[in-house]
Amino acid sequence: MGFRELLKNKEFVILDGAMGTMLQAKGLKMGETPEAMNIEKPEWLLDIHRQYIEAGSDVIYANTFGGNRHKLAKCGYSVEQAIGEGIRLARRAAEGHDTLVALDIGSIGQMLEPTGTLTFEEAYDIFKEMVIAGKDADVIVFETMTDLYELKAAILAAKENSDLPIMCTMTFEENMRTFTGVDISAMCLTAEGLGVDALGVNCSLGPKELYPVVEKICQWTTLPVVVKPNAGLPDPVTNEYNCSAEEFAEFAEKLIPLGIKVIGGCCGTDPTYISALKNMLADKKYVQRDVHIPAVCCSPTETVVIDQPRIIGERINPTGKKRFKQALLEDDIDYILGQAMEQIDAGADILDVNVGLPAIDEKAMMVKAVKALQGVCDVPLQLDSTIPEVMEAALRVYNGKPIVNSVNAEEKSLETVLPLVKKYGAAVVGLTLDENGIPKTADARFALAKKILDRAMAIGIRKEDVYIDCLTLTASAEQENVMQTVNAVRRVKEELGLRTVLGVSNISFGLPSREIVNHNFLMMCLTSGLDLPIMNPNIDSMTATVRTYKLLTNIDKNSMDFIAHYGADTSSPAPKAEKKSDMDLPYAIEHGLKGEGAEITAKLLETTDSMTIINEMLVPALDKAGEQFEKGKIFLPQLIQTAGVAQGCFEVIKQKMLAEGGSSVSKGKIILATVKGDIHDIGKNIVKVLLENYGYEVIDLGKDVDYQTVVDAAIENDVHLVGLSALMTTTLVSMEETIKLLRANNVDCKIMVGGAVVTPDYAEQIGADFYSKDAKQSVDIARQVFGN
Amino acid sequence: MNGHLQVKLDSLNKEEALRYMGYRDTAPDDSILAMLDECEKALLAVIKPCCIYHVFDIEEVSEGISVCGTSLVLQGNAISEHLAGCCKAVLMAATLSAHADRVIRRYEATDMTRAVMADFLASAAVEQVCDAAEESIGQEFSAYYRTWRFSPGYGDLPLDIQGSFLDVLQAQKLIGLNATASNILTPRKSVTAVIGLSENEIQKGRQGCSACNMKDVCQFRKRGDHCGV
Repeated sequence: MGFRELLKNKEFVILDGAMGTMLQAKGLKMGETPEAMNIEKPEWLLDIHRQYIEAGSDVIYANTFGGNRHKLAKCGYSVEQAIGEGIRLARRAAEGHDTLVALDIGSIGQMLEPTGTLTFEEAYDIFKEMVIAGKDADVIVFETMTDLYELKAAILAAKENSDLPIMCTMTFEENMRTFTGVDISAMCLTAEGLGVDALGVNCSLGPKELYPVVEKICQWTTLPVVVKPNAGLPDPVTNEYNCSAEEFAEFAEKLIPLGIKVIGGCCGTDPTYISALKNMLADKKYVQRDVHIPAVCCSPTETVVIDQPRIIGERINPTGKKRFKQALLEDDIDYILGQAMEQIDAGADILDVNVGLPAIDEKAMMVKAVKALQGVCDVPLQLDSTIPEVMEAALRVYNGKPIVNSVNAEEKSLETVLPLVKKYGAAVVGLTLDENGIPKTADARFALAKKILDRAMAIGIRKEDVYIDCLTLTASAEQENVMQTVNAVRRVKEELGLRTVLGVSNISFGLPSREIVNHNFLMMCLTSGLDLPIMNPNIDSMTATVRTYKLLTNIDKNSMDFIAHYGADTSSPAPKAEKKSDMDLPYAIEHGLKGEGAEITAKLLETTDSMTIINEMLVPALDKAGEQFEKGKIFLPQLIQTAGVAQGCFEVIKQKMLAEGGSSVSKGKIILATVKGDIHDIGKNIVKVLLENYGYEVIDLGKDVDYQTVVDAAIENDVHLVGLSALMTTTLVSMEETIKLLRANNVDCKIMVGGAVVTPDYAEQIGADFYSKDAKQSVDIARQVFGN
Repeated sequence: MNGHLQVKLDSLNKEEALRYMGYRDTAPDDSILAMLDECEKALLAVIKPCCIYHVFDIEEVSEGISVCGTSLVLQGNAISEHLAGCCKAVLMAATLSAHADRVIRRYEATDMTRAVMADFLASAAVEQVCDAAEESIGQEFSAYYRTWRFSPGYGDLPLDIQGSFLDVLQAQKLIGLNATASNILTPRKSVTAVIGLSENEIQKGRQGCSACNMKDVCQFRKRGDHCGV
């Protein structure tokens, strides 16, 4: 009987208990690599496995938990050796029994980007190597995971390189989240969406403390639920776990009514715990769960149930936005992140992400944008592209359960997009259009919605995961058809029972007072059943419309959310303390007044040339701040603050220049990078802000940057000044290597280096042209290099 | 023998953060203080400070100090000197959790001033966590004299023991603490350290900048200050 049959046919599946605890009892030292014992002490493993088989385990975990190339490096065995032997030993122990053997895989032991340096793609490769080495197992287990992103890489590696069933468990703390903040619902939605066979929790706490965790898991998945708890909690002094085998079984018994299927033990448990479980389970029946998973999407930390109108922010999209296009052309991810944070602050529940621009590599930009956005935002993303390869790349690197925007009723679209939605477990927006365009009538759009739903369900996509966009036409061009959209929304919602999406702003195209038209149309649609308006949340009247709708329909109970947002709005806003009518730009910069600085700049631009503003006002004000910083009269926060105001002023100038069709300001291009291996990039970011405010164009390669990336970027962009930063003595060597490679490739550039551990002597020794002691000095160096 | 502490911080050490930023005699203005308050709130709302420690018998070997019952050897002269006369050593690891990294990253996308402040505040906070841990260690081992906290990377104690150090403490499993391939701790705002325990009084004056490999470039030293370690 294979693992899937076991799940189907047995009341309960019993796993084994701890491996580490057993190995330590046999003499494994703390800090030693347990997987090395597969080769050095095979008799230990045979004995441990046999004890668990005798105790009643249906599945034993091979001793392969840390058998990845990163963790094995210190013991010298290969992944193939350690895992291959591990599986063989478990198989040998199981000879003559029905016991199945699991390839057991734990966390890699390095954090993924952006907190760590391991990329999603590297993590995938590490897991792939393990999956292949463990091909002779009966089931693949991923356990003790705390990062959903790492788990996703693992599941994809298993799915794409093996046909074995997959079971995955994460480790949750008492606050019902993992160390990295992953919510239980997010694990369930993501892992089930990716097609695992069973999921649950291991390690963490004892069976008693895990009750609420297991309860929540059982509510968020339709799959068999796995529980592999520790033997209670460890005593802080003796490190002994506080739960006996009998107590363990007693607490485990209480989990049965919740609907668990698979059970075993983690740290501190031994074969007696498994025997106790087996005895307890002997006369118990599996409790079938009646679970309904709603329409929902999620990030690791935030699960958004579409049980009420949710705002999808539309601003991350270059269509009709010169400034956004410029950001894409300049690879300016910070601009995109700024747009994201602004929308979230304004009330967006989900963000649409579209970076399609003919002049750029959309796939590379999409991957970069998704990774950067999920590094700072909690809200789930809606991935928006018309190119299937871009969509797949985005789905791969997305952490959680996203929305795909979009599929339509054209055959080609249905054939290419829906399988991606299924494979990656996403939700999907279906546009009611086909080869013949957008049908005029509500009936015809309803029919297309039905077609999309049928096709999605035919390949196993859940009905709840299909959201329909009945498409907004502009009132100025097709006034007679506006109500067709509204009526189609109502029918799709009521008759098909699907969630509805609609980009609302198009309605007013070509009309005056667009905002008035937009928010009234929004209210009409909400009243007709719109769940997901795609809109600009930064426009108060739009967000207010959604909040008002929720208030009036009794969704916002006791008007809590409404009052929280508008409750203080009873009197006129307090006058700003610093507001001076005769305030000038230097004053605003010196006092860190960002909004005022931008306002003054906008006014100045009406009469003054932008270069004059930069050279005669911004730069002297920054110089003054720099000088005071050097003299110790102001400190780092103030220096950056003045730079922040200048940044706001520059933004206004940039907008103006783009609007007039000019290019942006550039006194010279500079590459900045935190070197390979180093992730301390706050210093580099400070330098960047300052340089930009002096009018330099900074190409920011980020942190942990490969040597070759720096060389390629310098050549490709014809850059003559490269700034490298390192904060660790251990990464200084990367700085040296980067410089060597730049020189070896004859890149015509000057190199400045900086960072806490860099000294002037060392800078000279490794062949840098300049040593920069702080951000201020990097500006002086740039001036010298570019002669401006 | 062991400790696993969830450290509750009610406030962060803003004075220390300001000192890191270079403020010594000059008082920061109200807008800076207001921003600092805001950053403190943002951090306190999400961080999950915790610390683990474990006490081991130690043995002097030719390469340095062997941590008994483990495969770990603390190499170098500096650690041998640090633990001279000690019969036991406490290995500890503390972190603010990855949530601190996220707060800083978010500020970096929107406002560098706050990002820098949050970064310095978080650095001060992880020292607070270590102080809390040390207090608990002090209570548990009140019969012993303690050395100060010596971390991998100080003197000639190599940073590349970081991975084994974390393995011995099971830091990844217990508090979610890892090291990158270049031995940087992640989450970023984390510390590993060794405290020696001795039955005899420990000579004072061993703590200082001379053991520090940052001594030539240290910004604190340049202005006649020290970093607080």
